[in-house]
Amino acid sequence: MKRYILQYKMDIVWTVVCTLVTVGISLTLPFLMRQAIDGLTDKTLSRTGLRDLLLWYGGLSAVAVVFSLYLRKIPMKLSHKVEFALRNDVFDHLTRMDQAFFRSERTGDLMTRMSSDMTLLRDTIGQGLLQGIRTGMVLLLASIVMLITDTSLALLVLGLYFPMTAIFFLVLRAMRRTQKLLQEQVSDVSNFCQESFAGIRCIKGFALEERRIGLFEYLNRDLVRLNMKVQAGRQSLWPFMAFWFCLSVMMILNLGGRQVVRGERSLGTLVQFMQYLLYMQWPLLALSWITSLFQQGKVSWQRICHILEQTPAIADTDQTDFQIQQLTGDIHLQDLSLDLKDRRFLDHISLKIPTGTTLGITGPTGSGKTLLVSLVARLMDSTSGSIRVDGHDIKVIPLSVLRKHIGFAAQEPILFSRTLEHNIGFGVSEPDEALIQWAAEVAHLTEDIQSFPERFDTLLGERGVTLSGGQRQRASISRAVARHPDILILDDVLSAVDTQTEAAIMKKLQPVMQKRTTLFVSHRISTLQYADEIVVIEHGCITQQGTHDELIKQPGYYAELNMLQQIQSQLE
Amino acid sequence: MDKQKKTSFDTGAAKRLLAYARPYTRWMVLALVVIIAMSGLVNYLPVLIQKITDTCLLNTSETANVRVSRLAHLSLLYITFALVGHILRYGQGMLTVWLGQRIIYDLRMAVYKKAMRLHQGHFDRTPVGALLTRVTSDIDRMQGFVTDGVVGTVADVFMLISIMIYMVVLHWQVALVLFTVLPVMFAALHMINRKLRHANRLIRERQSAINALLQEDIVGMTTIQLFNRQTTACGEFRERNTHLRSAYFEEVRWFSLYFPVIEAGQAVAFILILGAGGWLLLNQSSVISLGVLVAFLTYIRDFFRPLGSLSDKAGMFQTAMASAERIFALLDTPEAIKDPRQSLPPNQITGPIAFDHVWFAYDKENWVIKDLSFQVEPGQIIAVVGATGAGKSTIINLIGRFYDVQQGAVTINGHDIRQFRKAHLRSRLGYVFQDPFVFAGTVADNISLLNPDLTRDDLISAATTVNAHTFIQDMPNGYDTVLNERGDGLSFGQKQLLCMARTLAQDPELLFVMDEATASVDTATEVLIQDALNKLMHNRTSIVIAHRLSTIRHANQILVMRHGQLLDSGTHDELMRHSVYYKHLYELLRHSPEV
Repeated sequence: MKRYILQYKMDIVWTVVCTLVTVGISLTLPFLMRQAIDGLTDKTLSRTGLRDLLLWYGGLSAVAVVFSLYLRKIPMKLSHKVEFALRNDVFDHLTRMDQAFFRSERTGDLMTRMSSDMTLLRDTIGQGLLQGIRTGMVLLLASIVMLITDTSLALLVLGLYFPMTAIFFLVLRAMRRTQKLLQEQVSDVSNFCQESFAGIRCIKGFALEERRIGLFEYLNRDLVRLNMKVQAGRQSLWPFMAFWFCLSVMMILNLGGRQVVRGERSLGTLVQFMQYLLYMQWPLLALSWITSLFQQGKVSWQRICHILEQTPAIADTDQTDFQIQQLTGDIHLQDLSLDLKDRRFLDHISLKIPTGTTLGITGPTGSGKTLLVSLVARLMDSTSGSIRVDGHDIKVIPLSVLRKHIGFAAQEPILFSRTLEHNIGFGVSEPDEALIQWAAEVAHLTEDIQSFPERFDTLLGERGVTLSGGQRQRASISRAVARHPDILILDDVLSAVDTQTEAAIMKKLQPVMQKRTTLFVSHRISTLQYADEIVVIEHGCITQQGTHDELIKQPGYYAELNMLQQIQSQLE
Repeated sequence: MDKQKKTSFDTGAAKRLLAYARPYTRWMVLALVVIIAMSGLVNYLPVLIQKITDTCLLNTSETANVRVSRLAHLSLLYITFALVGHILRYGQGMLTVWLGQRIIYDLRMAVYKKAMRLHQGHFDRTPVGALLTRVTSDIDRMQGFVTDGVVGTVADVFMLISIMIYMVVLHWQVALVLFTVLPVMFAALHMINRKLRHANRLIRERQSAINALLQEDIVGMTTIQLFNRQTTACGEFRERNTHLRSAYFEEVRWFSLYFPVIEAGQAVAFILILGAGGWLLLNQSSVISLGVLVAFLTYIRDFFRPLGSLSDKAGMFQTAMASAERIFALLDTPEAIKDPRQSLPPNQITGPIAFDHVWFAYDKENWVIKDLSFQVEPGQIIAVVGATGAGKSTIINLIGRFYDVQQGAVTINGHDIRQFRKAHLRSRLGYVFQDPFVFAGTVADNISLLNPDLTRDDLISAATTVNAHTFIQDMPNGYDTVLNERGDGLSFGQKQLLCMARTLAQDPELLFVMDEATASVDTATEVLIQDALNKLMHNRTSIVIAHRLSTIRHANQILVMRHGQLLDSGTHDELMRHSVYYKHLYELLRHSPEV
């Protein structure tokens, strides 16, 4: 944290300077007021004297106002600069994290850390600097000035304000506690509604509406009760402060007033001290507020650090051989096993996929097919065994080089809320129109695109066109082939299209696949038969391996799948 | 044109909001009285200071003793007034907050009740989040508006007015001079507030722009990495972050002006008071005393405070009205499925259930059910089979009146189900869904559904019958174990058993079962579930959307559906003999890898 703030040392110096000037002048102004009042009381003040006093008052006030503006501006701007830098750093860090990280962290949680935690931290820095420095200065300078001016009145003011701050502090603390309860109740209400809407079928089905409304009434009533409890504290703050001020004014008027009556003290001094009373109130109260802000800010900082402290397991290391720049796509899996959370997902898998050949992968849901192709793209590392590409261990190939050679399309692809063109050309530095059109054509997407309002410039997502599942899959195929990768990985990318579209796509995709090393996962026999070799994975093991013609004759998963799909086609 | 339209909407929503305040008219009058009394008392205090200054401190015509005792006397009065005034102020604050809370309570209740009565189609179409926003953030915004906005404004206005009255009474010339600052200050603060609102809108827009990007990039980080786009992604993020920062700088620019402007106003006010008062005094004018000057100086702080908050109310009104419109739009949604004006008694909900030439479409265009007719005798088990999209689950939607048929009728014992009250009808129906829904609360409440007629013994016996008793007993607090809304700690199969216990405990007349074996349930639990299902259906009219072979084989009647039509019906053996389509279906189920 220090590192971020200390970049702006000069800003802090300026804040201190501005505070000194503002506080200095603010403490001087009541002196002028006192002189005016005393001069008017004993009628020693001339018209020019009054005019000069007021001119001084106006001039000094103007200076104070300008400095007071910068006193706020500088630390607040500083806090935004820190927030900016920190947010950039966290994002940069996120781009280096591996899949395991994103799987273990909830998106909503990361979002909170990047938004509300950042905001809280920023406010802590900005307000902490501003109020911290100011309160310190006000307390110090005001005490000195008051003690010099009139010791007994000064002690009276300090004596009165000490208990006020203490009481205020206690009220705020109690309020924080109820505030927390209130927040919990608010989220209870929110959760209850969420549950009511998500489970509406069950609620309607069992005719529970009235009972739910009854429960909601309880929650709502408690919400009002807690709200009132918090307000009981909040509403008391201002009247309490104002009353305390009245009390202090009375003490000054009574103790000081007797001396005025006896002629031992001037009315102006009393007015001057009343102004100090007013002036000191806010900074003192801000102190209690800052304390709680600091506590929250600290928690937020820790939550942000939690992200920054994690290091990715998949990254270039000192073993990385940066000489490797080109790959042809000769893949060799040697005795590959993968454990996740003490469960074995892939068990001793060995495979050779020579350059330019096509491997089809099939098997029941959850058998480990997606994990296998994820290992090849090095989204995660295997527990034991190794993957060699062109004879290099995958772990020594620079990540960016490996991925430059891979075109990857997933079953549930992520597309970005940009234009279709942006999405298809996503993996190419400067995609030209011809490439985009070719890639769209390969995935049999051209006809769909023609029907969109702005063709390739059509925005995807909420503010544009929502693609169907099949269109998304085909767009992700386009995105993968547009890179002209040497290794093409298609993870069940045709599951959402019907059999006819599938046949059309395969016809166009097949020539592209033939030129590259291709791994594709599929449940459809009609797609699998295009592969040079097919493996069946069940429970993390290869149970069958061979060409379509070979496997169809073997008893086992593949032949069963074939029969099932034949019956299914008759049902349609 | 557009703006005009918007204003008329505003007043409409405001009027309806006012209707929610009507029940509390008396309390509002009381609040107003307290506000007036409070501002009268509190703002009288500087007048007392004037009296103290002039008659005690500076009064040289009387003896010191008289003056000191008068000082004590006036001080006591001052403290009493201050105490009562500020207690009233607190009371007024609490009263108005309470009023706001009551109004919001009623509104929240109304929104929730409405949501519970919305048509199932509404839930199927719109995401849960949108509805949730109505009950949470929209209501919250209204709450802030009602409490701080309306009531706060009234209090501010009365404070300001009463200060002005006292000032005029104290010394009208100085007061008038001082009032010249008011319009200037109000204009300045209003301008700053407007700029701040603009900046805040920018911040919100850019914050949500950066959040949208962030969300997408976090979800798609693997894709970004696979395609080596990290540098571009960082660049884009930096760009939006810079935009956000410049919006914040804009806010800082105006916000840092806010308090200095008030300070400047106060300085000008001080100068005006000292200047005007001093000039009058130096002219030996007897119409002003020093005490008046001191009193004016004391007023300054309270004089400017309401100005700042008053100048900010316009923006609050706009956002609150936008929320109010959304809330009232929800409250105005018509109820598509209504109860009949004269309903049949609930004891008529028994006997054979029939579909009589039913036609139904979710979107009034594509018929999902086409001319479907069939009858289920009491106690029979009917299995409905067919490929995906054949319209099987729609049958359940129609009997439960989640949706109403477009043509034909669904009847129970010859009565059209639209003649029954929905609550009566549905309380006689029971469900076993594919995805078991667990409510946050105890296990017992999840089974009883808070039905007051069910004793603990009833719950235990229901749980025992469906093989749920054993695992419930093994839970930390047995039937009193509190489950969260996701039912964490229970396996999928256990949740299914729990929901079956729930259904059995309600003892429904007619049972619907979405019977699908799930891959995530282990074989041992699967056996328990099948057994529980058989017990549940025993001697009970049941309609099963069937996938398990055993259920299909044991059904009294099987309906074979295809594209919304009844293709064939009969027992398993009959259908195996004469229906080729059924034979294929059966083969498919038999070979499905999940079973």
